[in-house]
Amino acid sequence: MNQAEVSQLISKLRIRISPRHKNLKCPEGPQGRLNKLRKTVNALFKYERLELNYTIADETRGYAERLISEAIRHGDTHKPTMEMADYWIEEKQLIHKLFKVLVPRFSDYKTSYTMLYRAPKAYPDIVYPRSVLELRGNPFPSILPQRIDQRNFIHNILLEEAKKAYRAEKYEQITKSLNEQDVVDK
Amino acid sequence: MLLRSLKLHIIQCGFAPVVLQVSRTCSNMPLSDTHQSPDNAVSGKQVKSERKLVVPSNSRFIYPEFLPDPKMEWRNSLREKLERLDMIQRRKHIDIPEFYVGSILAVTSSNQHAPNKATRFVGICIQRLGCGLRANITLRNVIKHVGTEIKYQLYDPTIQKIEVLRLEKRLDDELLYLRDAPNEYSTFDENMEAEYLPEGTPVPVNTTLVKLKPRPWRARWERKNMKGLADLELEERFYKRAEELATPWEKYDLMKQYRRTIPEEEQKEIFAEVCSELHEVEVMRKKLKRKKVFVKPTRSS
Amino acid sequence: MKCFTSCFYKKYTYTLSRRYVSTSKNVEPLSEIVAYQNNLFDNEQKKQKEAVGRIEKMIIKYHGVPENVTLSMNKGISTPYDCAKHISEMLVKRTGLALVDNTHLWDMHRPLESDCEITFMHAQHLPDPYHFNRAYWRSCSLILGAVISKAFKNDIQPTLHSFPSPNVKSGSFVYDVELSNLPEWTPTENELRILSANMVKLAQTSYRFDRLAVSEELALDIFQDNKFKKEQVPNIAQQSIDKKVILYRIGDHIDISKGPMIGNTDLLGRCTITAVHRLDTKYGHLYRFQGVSLPKGIMLNHFAYSLLEQRAKKLNAARLPDQVNNDMFVPRFSSEDSIA
Repeated sequence: MNQAEVSQLISKLRIRISPRHKNLKCPEGPQGRLNKLRKTVNALFKYERLELNYTIADETRGYAERLISEAIRHGDTHKPTMEMADYWIEEKQLIHKLFKVLVPRFSDYKTSYTMLYRAPKAYPDIVYPRSVLELRGNPFPSILPQRIDQRNFIHNILLEEAKKAYRAEKYEQITKSLNEQDVVDK
Repeated sequence: MLLRSLKLHIIQCGFAPVVLQVSRTCSNMPLSDTHQSPDNAVSGKQVKSERKLVVPSNSRFIYPEFLPDPKMEWRNSLREKLERLDMIQRRKHIDIPEFYVGSILAVTSSNQHAPNKATRFVGICIQRLGCGLRANITLRNVIKHVGTEIKYQLYDPTIQKIEVLRLEKRLDDELLYLRDAPNEYSTFDENMEAEYLPEGTPVPVNTTLVKLKPRPWRARWERKNMKGLADLELEERFYKRAEELATPWEKYDLMKQYRRTIPEEEQKEIFAEVCSELHEVEVMRKKLKRKKVFVKPTRSS
Repeated sequence: MKCFTSCFYKKYTYTLSRRYVSTSKNVEPLSEIVAYQNNLFDNEQKKQKEAVGRIEKMIIKYHGVPENVTLSMNKGISTPYDCAKHISEMLVKRTGLALVDNTHLWDMHRPLESDCEITFMHAQHLPDPYHFNRAYWRSCSLILGAVISKAFKNDIQPTLHSFPSPNVKSGSFVYDVELSNLPEWTPTENELRILSANMVKLAQTSYRFDRLAVSEELALDIFQDNKFKKEQVPNIAQQSIDKKVILYRIGDHIDISKGPMIGNTDLLGRCTITAVHRLDTKYGHLYRFQGVSLPKGIMLNHFAYSLLEQRAKKLNAARLPDQVNNDMFVPRFSSEDSIA
């Protein structure tokens, strides 16, 4: 039985976190793992949309989200946060981007700050599942196709009309029963 | 009506005992003490008017066992909630005070083999583990030159009383190194009197540095990065090896941290749920404490 | 031994065949007149094809998936269906209706007449499949007519009257029919189910909708045994611009409609004939057959579909056959055939 660490308060992330981290192929151990992730986190802040292996994208997502939420929570005057940003972001001009661009962008978001999509596998070239990781509010066109309006498809028209007919019937019944009640009351 | 003169012991800031002599006061009349009464009156009113209570920000330090295990596979909101209800129920029966690792506690527990069916053990809290109903503490003392440790389950029904004799913190979250320290670091008088901290003072931090006995130890303390240890006086190779095995990157592993904590939003939810009940228990305890102080008879000279 | 087995087998199959023998000879009442009708239709079609004369080329432009194409087709012979065949099988399968120059709705099997830009419409056409839905509903009525005319035994002769202009919002497609020798008939569940099955079967035979504009005399000749149609034909011919009557044929069933229709019966997906209501009109007792169906490619779960079926059971409020200004017989090509 473990105990929750109480030494610091952390904002809740708006993404689903897997119970255990995913293993990356890393001969240098846990430090190498962080170095690997550091590169993708840095690239994510730089390019705002990346195509990656699913495993590494999923891992990167958590770190990027945590970094943004810390930046929003503490601002750029908080020393530990700055230290953390300094560790995670290799290109130092991107630290400015984090605090000056991303924090204002995400400060009133009620959703997660990143999006992770599964990308199609190009069979048989790539066997690992691919995915696309992006920051929300990026300047690129949306990845998902626009939702088509299906209201005018024949089944939806039929269902809509059936609903209207059912409601009209019900209202008629109600008014009828009300009238009967009135008669009984009188 | 009993008219008595009473002595009231109150320990003020700086641990200087001040003796107040109150003469010609009825024992069952409320105390017109200038230090205590305004505070209590206010808190009493708060409960009655059922004003919305603000969750104190330090709840997570005072009641860490109310936070569930952060391991996600073991989370179960219903079980956690039921456990919290049970914990509050238990807290209504016995007083589990605020204490920290490093505080000196006295725990009285039922013991059918003892002559008066109860044992009282005084010791320093060296470890606080577990959450929910399984929360436990380890007390350490040296009794008759033998280092003795007892692990108590906080919500064990056989526990009759938990007293805090000295409320303080140490530099570390675990004091297991006291096992490898000379006996004087963990020797405490069994008949030690409780020291009272006035309301509102921050919990003092005891900054004593512990000087360990020479090796062998129960753990390689040079690798644990303990703050409360004096110089270990080891050979260079030990420190070198410790440096090799250190994991300085771990403090940057944001997700590892995240998986070891309960997020703020959840903590708020949990404490908002138990806050009012805990507050009631607190108020009750204060009343009891006051009574106890009052009842204590002293010989008038 | 072998001989015995074969004999036994023969006998067995014989009993089986007796038991489940088709009653088709009992339910094919008008084979003679149908053959006559089809003969006339074929001759007229042939004549019209020959009238094209020298083959000239026209340029057809198609803009859309899978690719933008410019086709050189035969004037007066090539149809939108042929164009689709040149472009993609997907278009051939799903398309029900063509749109020429963004103004005129064109049947899939109606020859194109000049250079144009073509669009293919299907059940999920964007932004709005309104015109496809209308054509689909109309085609359903026509298929229902074909089913009814073949579904009954010899002693009951259905005489098709007409169907009102398609209205998807009414919840059901309709055909009004007179059934001789059946003054009071309420179909059982099973009878309706058989009708539905017949309709699905007919649709799955994948007949194409042949369109033919014929003169009034020929139309009268074709519908000489149908008292209602005979009455309607002059009216229709008078109201149309070029004094022609437009006929549609699926399989061997011929009917009048101003169109447009979908290209093939196999576009009909799920289909139920839900109710038959008796109407009292000045033409006597007519029966209003009602059904509901969804085109192929539109999926709906069984519960939602059952709601549609229940609604389609109620009497369709469309115009009764004896009410004047029946839309079906006013071929307003200018407004109906074009969407501009």
